[in-house]
Amino acid sequence: MKFDDKVPIYYQIKNYLYHEMMTGQLKPGDKLPAVRQLAVDLTVNVNTVQRALGEMITENILESKRGKGNFVTTDEQRITQLKEHLVMEQLERVYEQLHALNLTDEQIIDSLKRFIAQRGQQDD
Amino acid sequence: MTNVLTINQLTYKHNLKTILNDIDLTLETGKIVGLLGENGAGKTTLMRLITGSAKGAGTITVCGDSVTAHHKGHVSFTEQLRGFKSNTRVDRVANFYRLVYPDFDGQRFEELVTFLQIDTSLKLGALSKGMKEKVVIALTLARQTQLYLLDEPFSGIDSMSRKKIISSIIKWKPADATMVISDHYVSEIAPILDEVVIVKDQTIYAHKASDAIREEFGIGIEAYYESLYEGGVSHD
Repeated sequence: MKFDDKVPIYYQIKNYLYHEMMTGQLKPGDKLPAVRQLAVDLTVNVNTVQRALGEMITENILESKRGKGNFVTTDEQRITQLKEHLVMEQLERVYEQLHALNLTDEQIIDSLKRFIAQRGQQDD
Repeated sequence: MTNVLTINQLTYKHNLKTILNDIDLTLETGKIVGLLGENGAGKTTLMRLITGSAKGAGTITVCGDSVTAHHKGHVSFTEQLRGFKSNTRVDRVANFYRLVYPDFDGQRFEELVTFLQIDTSLKLGALSKGMKEKVVIALTLARQTQLYLLDEPFSGIDSMSRKKIISSIIKWKPADATMVISDHYVSEIAPILDEVVIVKDQTIYAHKASDAIREEFGIGIEAYYESLYEGGVSHD
């Protein structure tokens, strides 16, 4: 995996794992690889992986079972919340940047609709 | 968290020239630390002082032991195999390590040899630069110590060998051991570093956690390292 050296690595590891969950590569109840294996796979430090997983356990996205490893939560509601959070985080960025261009909320919605319509045609 | 290395007021002079001046440094257990600095900044000298191969003024404590003569037993350092004849086979060198270092783990060495794809029947003189560096890494990591010192393990070797070496570091570093990796080229190893120590102007110019640099300054390790040098220039 390629990392952006300007962004804390533990944060990028979290985002990578969130992405795996959203795309179904990691399903609810799935066991994560061992910490050292994850570190080798991602070419990062074991301590950094531990920090990322630790935060995800605190967020109740992962469940740590003593002696067995880390598992993706089976709490569907929590996963739905996470997805909502990730979507809002992306929109926040776009919203701020468009606001900085002096667009009103209505103009932002119109632009987004036009964008999706054009994008849809491109993909066809 | 305990400390694996404590350096107090260390000064080292060579031919009346001061290389390192009154440095203090403390490293905790279980970290991977990047030792960064220009060529000639004193990175190798600092490593040789820690192993006891060079003698300076001040105290260096490794694993709670401040007797310099004991340090080689606590520290696994990437020796460049200059003491061996070029017709010595790699497995002979490993046998020598097994005799000299009680903490040399033959099983670990075999695993490393397999992972790094080393042919141990080859003679040292027949090894390419990348292969020789892999042999040095396998010998160094096969020892079970608290402190590993890797002196520029990536200089002048191809990117595939570099990736293999980085993977072997992640795989085989014991969880409670600390590893110091010196380099003047940062970007490739930046993701695996817990902390960076920057040697500049005969001193430890900066010692910071990598993710703290990214969080505080919003820049990469390499950019941070370079900014210290640019900053130094503008002050002159």
